[in-house]
Parts: sequence; structure tokens; C-alpha cells
Amino acid sequence: MAQRFLQQTFPNGLTLLAEQMPGMQSGAMTLLVTAGSSNDPINQSGAATVLADLILRGAGDRDNRQLTEYLDSLGLQRSSSVGVHHTRLGCAALAGKVIEGLPAYADIVQRPQMPGPGFQAGRDLALQALAGIDDDPRQKLMIKLREWAWPSPYGRSSMGTKEDLEKLTLEDARNDFATRFGPKNAIISFAGNVDFNQLKTEIEKHFGNWKQQPGLTIPRTPPPGNLHHLTQESEQTHIGIAYPSITETHPDYYSARMAVEILSGGMSGRLFTEVREKRGLCYSVGASYSSLKEFASIFGYAGTSNDRAQATLDCFIAELHRLSDGVTNDELDRAKIGLKASTIMTGESTSARAGTIAHDFFIRGRIRTLEEIKDAIDAVTVDQVNAYLKNNKPGPFTIVTVGPKPLNVPK
Amino acid sequence: MPLTFQHHQLKNGLDIVAEINPDSHSFAAGFFVKTGARDEATDINGVSHFLEHMMFKGSSTYTWEDVNRIFDEMGARYNAFTSQEMTAYYANVLPEFTERTIEHLAHLLRPAIRNEDFTTEKNVILEEIAMYLDDPGHRLYEKVMESHFANHPLSLSVLGSADSIKKLERDQMANYFKSRYGPGNMVLSVTGRLDFDEVVRLTEKYCGDWPRVNAPRENLNPIYTPRREYLTDAKLNRNYTMGMTPGPSSQDDRRFAARVLADVIGDSDGSRFYWALVDNAIAEDADFGFYPHDGCGSFYISLTTDPERTDQAMKIALDELNKVKTDLKDDEVDRAKNKIASSLVLSGEVPIGRMRAIGSQWLYNHEYRSLEKDMATLMSVTPASLRQLMKDFPFDPMTIVTLGPGEKK
Repeated sequence: MAQRFLQQTFPNGLTLLAEQMPGMQSGAMTLLVTAGSSNDPINQSGAATVLADLILRGAGDRDNRQLTEYLDSLGLQRSSSVGVHHTRLGCAALAGKVIEGLPAYADIVQRPQMPGPGFQAGRDLALQALAGIDDDPRQKLMIKLREWAWPSPYGRSSMGTKEDLEKLTLEDARNDFATRFGPKNAIISFAGNVDFNQLKTEIEKHFGNWKQQPGLTIPRTPPPGNLHHLTQESEQTHIGIAYPSITETHPDYYSARMAVEILSGGMSGRLFTEVREKRGLCYSVGASYSSLKEFASIFGYAGTSNDRAQATLDCFIAELHRLSDGVTNDELDRAKIGLKASTIMTGESTSARAGTIAHDFFIRGRIRTLEEIKDAIDAVTVDQVNAYLKNNKPGPFTIVTVGPKPLNVPK
Repeated sequence: MPLTFQHHQLKNGLDIVAEINPDSHSFAAGFFVKTGARDEATDINGVSHFLEHMMFKGSSTYTWEDVNRIFDEMGARYNAFTSQEMTAYYANVLPEFTERTIEHLAHLLRPAIRNEDFTTEKNVILEEIAMYLDDPGHRLYEKVMESHFANHPLSLSVLGSADSIKKLERDQMANYFKSRYGPGNMVLSVTGRLDFDEVVRLTEKYCGDWPRVNAPRENLNPIYTPRREYLTDAKLNRNYTMGMTPGPSSQDDRRFAARVLADVIGDSDGSRFYWALVDNAIAEDADFGFYPHDGCGSFYISLTTDPERTDQAMKIALDELNKVKTDLKDDEVDRAKNKIASSLVLSGEVPIGRMRAIGSQWLYNHEYRSLEKDMATLMSVTPASLRQLMKDFPFDPMTIVTLGPGEKK
């Protein structure tokens, strides 16, 4: 059988990953560069978001319009975003077109033109997006929940603050690019109908001379934690609850994941059953696991009418406490098949696979096969999950509410 | 990656359409029912969507807990949605659960509609309505549809109002179900790894005794009159503006050209709106899109702006719509076609995407279109066909609505 995975780190620090997917015509690329919200320079929050916009406004010999039109002519479905650790650029199309577009992506991350008017417009767009948050109470809540649950700089929002964005200059952005954009710890991944030899040659040719960046690390400060209310005359009260979990590389990781699946995996999950189905308290309720390299959290959300908000919060917290009483075999079986099936079905998309193998490498330093994930899920026992839950009672909670009135937090 | 198509009709009139992909790792199945808000009497507005929720509350043999548990025991990715003209129920599973999925979806589509569940779920629907009131984009869309389609049934809200939902009775819903949900008004769409003969046998086993339902849909011609409206909500920060104007329908062959035209004018990147409005930050978002409906269609403009920049942005958008009629370039049409071609290839590789595409296509047109056929039709679109399209649908009349804070004190 042909080799399925490729992993190679070049002398300048860039890691190339690839997965050959039989039967696919498409190819997808993910490129992660170490410019994320957690390493935005002090007093320049939002800088990575402005840069992610700016580098696409012309690169190499192509100006703004030429670059966009060239990528469009290849039919590339493109995305770009800023996460906690990275700026992420992605594209997908017929596999050959993705490879053809590589030199242009090499220009984008190594030789962006960063024009002045483009900088002004990009910063203006970032400020407009920020102004829009108040019109979307749920988004506002989730941004604040992360900010108050996670230590700084990890909890910082990639959207930045108005004060910092207004002061940001083109020179700041250019300096920031030189500091944070480079091959050190960068990852470029491909999935789909890809030829490993061709890929290695192309990456070496276009990214082999990419010069290392100094990088930037921001000192860590503890989160403010616990309870916050933001008054807003919204139609619903929006409730966010966060508490610490364990990281993906912890030996008990799958026990922790199973517990979250049981809490909020499908429509038979405990939160959906108790809060929505039995009591009809809200339409949207759930919790999910979120992990960085350094630490992890469970984030929960419920949106409900103001007069039912207290009952919703009480019920939500009661379900979190009930977890430490243990879970049943049936619940665990459903959680296992749910996580296995979603891993396999998500694996049918080349874009999703390119993203997953890049994430795997960032967290674990290697790619996991679907078989390995399946075996790890199968190996979890109900005793393990219950022991984990007994020794790791949910809490301490960070609770943020957005709505007309604050709520009482149950003991 | 050879995809093959199969079709079979059961004796009771239930159509089964399948696109088989032996390379796939999963199986997807969905019932698409030709019913939605546009088929509702105004006094029961919201019943299609509320009924979609009640389908998950159990059949004569299952309770709501059984319904949820069985889906989760298969590790299914499952959901349902209701639009103005369609309601769909679907699941994506590993191939070993093919029979259980068809059996379970068949149970879903024969709901008991128990009084107690109806009362509890009413609260969930009211919460969903409240949730969307905190979403300016959704509020604006409902208002634009209401104004643009005026007396046409497409003006009806999918969710209904808090008032219509509070008044709705269990028996009104049961009657609506009886009159709309049956073979003759729905299709079962299956894709991915599957044995078609087996799927037909199973569908006969679980759905073969459903009575045929003839559920005609009134297809009035909408009467459009140009409008400019403002909705004020002092607690908003931004202005949200939508303009809607006639375009080709889901049955109209010009819909392929319409999709290309929409990308040329208003794709999120590299389009005319992008360069005229977003690249320079006059608008935070500026889209131009195409909604084909059953029997008619719409193009729409969507803008998010600072309140003081709305008039300027709208003027630029309307100027672009005028200009493109006379200065459309060959290369921008080619670029839009290339982008759409990529999205066709990518969607063809994932069973759940194709299940939705072939299910809704069959519901509207009783036609199967392979990816190759869609691709060939797309490639046959020319700048001349776009110019003709703009003569047929000149972006006039237009309904424009702005939702925002109004004059700041």
C-alpha cells in the first residue's frame, strides 16, 4: 500500500505534513504561522487580525487586485483567520490548482507589499467588526467568557480593543510582520489527491529560503475569574459558564472527552435532555471542550428568556455537579460511537483533514491515524470515566451573563 | 470516483433517489418534504417549523427520549430544517447503520404529536423566536421577505410570531400534518456508500404503508412594488441593509447564469462589491446573492455599515448593478466560474452535501443532475448569457430595508 502520511521538518523550522486520501480529486492546504492573539504585542491587541488582512493586499510582484484575481482564477476556495496561537491561511480546490497556487502563498507570507491605504482600510474593517459585537450578545458573551476564564494572554480576543486598534500604525504592522511571520514553528499541511515527492520539491523551492523570525512571547497573568454580569437590554439573557479541564496530551484525556460528550454530545446529552427537552427552558444549550497546548477548559452556553434565566442557570449548574456522581455504561457507549463516527465522517473532507493534521502536529508533534483515535476511544472504560469525574469535580466556575439583570449563582 | 444515480418509486408514490459513491466512508439519508411557511394559512403561521420540532417527540411506539437515544446510539450526525418552501430531516451515519437509519427516519415522519410534548415544545419555539430577536441579520431578512413579497405567501415568517405560536392548537398541527406529509409530496434522498436494492427493500418495509397525499401548492405570481423602509432599534450600533429584487426560479434554466452573476457582483472576495465597498472599508460586509424559490426567484444585496455610511454604500452598490450591465468583462466571468467549479468538486466529495443537493433538486424539478452535468452547464455559461439575464431581470423593482439605531442623539 502506498504511504498515507508525510511529515518533514525543514532546516528553517517549517514542518510539512500531508495525507494522501484515495478517491479524492480535491486538495486542501492549511498554513499556520505563529502570529496569534496570545502573542499580539502589548498595547497592540488585534494586531494579528490586521496583519492577516494586510498580507493579502498584494504580495511579491502582484498588487492587491492582481493577487486576488490570480487566486480566484485558480478557483481556490480561501479562508484566513486568527486563533490563540496562529494566523491560519487555508485554501481548497482541484488538487493541482492548490499546488499551482503555492508560489503565491509563499509571496503572501514572505513578501507582502503591505500598502499604506490597505493598512488603513484593514484597520477600519477591524474597528467596524468590533463595533458589531454589541449587536450580537451571544458573541460578546463568549469573547468575555474566554477573556475572564483563561489567563492572559491566552484569553485575549483576536479582535483586539478599540483603544489599541486606533493607535496601531502601518509601521507597527510592518515591524510586527518582521517579528512574528517566519518559518520557526510554522506548519504547512495538505490533504487529498497529493503527490508527496512533488510536494516536498515545491515546498523546499518556495519556502526553503524563508528566513526565521525572532518571535514574541507575552508574559502570563492570572485570569480575573469567577462572576461577571454585563447589562444589556437584550431579548434573552445569555449565560456562559467555563471551568478547567485537562489537555489533549494528558493520559486521562479521553475520559474527560467522554464526560463532555455525555454532558452535551447529541440530543440525548444531559444538558439538552434536562434543560431543553424536559423543562423547555431554552432553544440553545450546550457545552464543549476547548484545548490549547498549555491548558484546557469546558465552555458552556445557554440563551433564554429573562424570566427563565435563573431557572436555566440553576438547572445547568446542577447538571455539572451531577457529573461527579458518575455516568452509566449506556451513556458511555453512546459517547464512544458518537465521537468515533464524527471523527470518521469529518475525515471525509480534505479541508477538515488538512486542518486536523496541522492541529495534531501542533499539540502532539505528530499526526494521529484514524485507527489510533478509534482504538483510544474503544479502550475507555466506565470505571475510568467515573474515577476521573470523582477526582475532578467540575469547577471552579467562571460565569458571565449578558442581559437586563444579573443572576444569583447557586451554591 | 464514479458516482452512479438510481431512482425508484414505491407503489404509494414515494420517490427514492440515490447517488452512490463506493469510495465514501459514510451513508447519508434525508426526507425532503415540499411544505413550509408558504403553505400555511396565516392563522397557523409557524406550524411547519413547530411541527418539524414535534417530529422529534416520538411516534406511536417511541417517546422523545427513544428518538434522541436511538440517533445517538448510531453516532449519527442528524438534524432537520424548515424554510419557506421545504422541510427536511436527515442523518449521516456509518454504513453499518443503514437499516436502522431508514427505520428511524420513518418513525420520525409518523409523529404522535402528544399534548404534553406539544405544550413543553411550545416554550422552546418561543425561546427560538426570542433568540432570533437578538440577531439583527435574521430580523432584517424576515422584514425584507415580508415587504418584498407583500401578499404572496413567501412573505410569511418561518418561525411565526410569538402570538401565532401561543394560539396554535395541537389539532391544527395534526391536520396540517395529514394534509402535507405523504408520498407524492416528498422524496427520500440517499448518498454515499450504499446498496440501492437494499435501500429500496428497507424503504418499502418501513414506509410502504404510508397513505399517498396530494398536497398542491398555490403558485401565485408575486406583485412587486419598489419600497424603501427603515426599522429603528436604538440599542443597535450598526446599520444592516438588505435590498431584494426579482431573479430566476428554481425551475428556470437561467438559474446557473444567475449563480455566476451573483459571484461576479457580490462574492465575499474579489467581486465587484468587494472592490467597490469592502476593500476600502466603506462597508464591513457587502454581498450580492441569489435565492431561487419555487416558481419565482430573488437577487439580494446585503450590507453592514457604520450608520453614517449606509447611504453612500447603498448608492455605490446600486451604481455597480447599473455598470455591470454595460461593462461586464470575460475574465471576471471566468474567475467566478472557476470558483463555483471548485465548490462543486468539494461538495461532491462529502455525502451529506450531495444528499441535500439531489433531494431538493428532485423536490422542485423531478430531475437528477449529476455533478458532471452541473459542471458542463456551468462551463456553458457565457458573458452573453449574463447580459441577457440582466435584460430579463434588470434589478428593478427593488425592496430596500435598513435596520439600525436611527438618528443618534
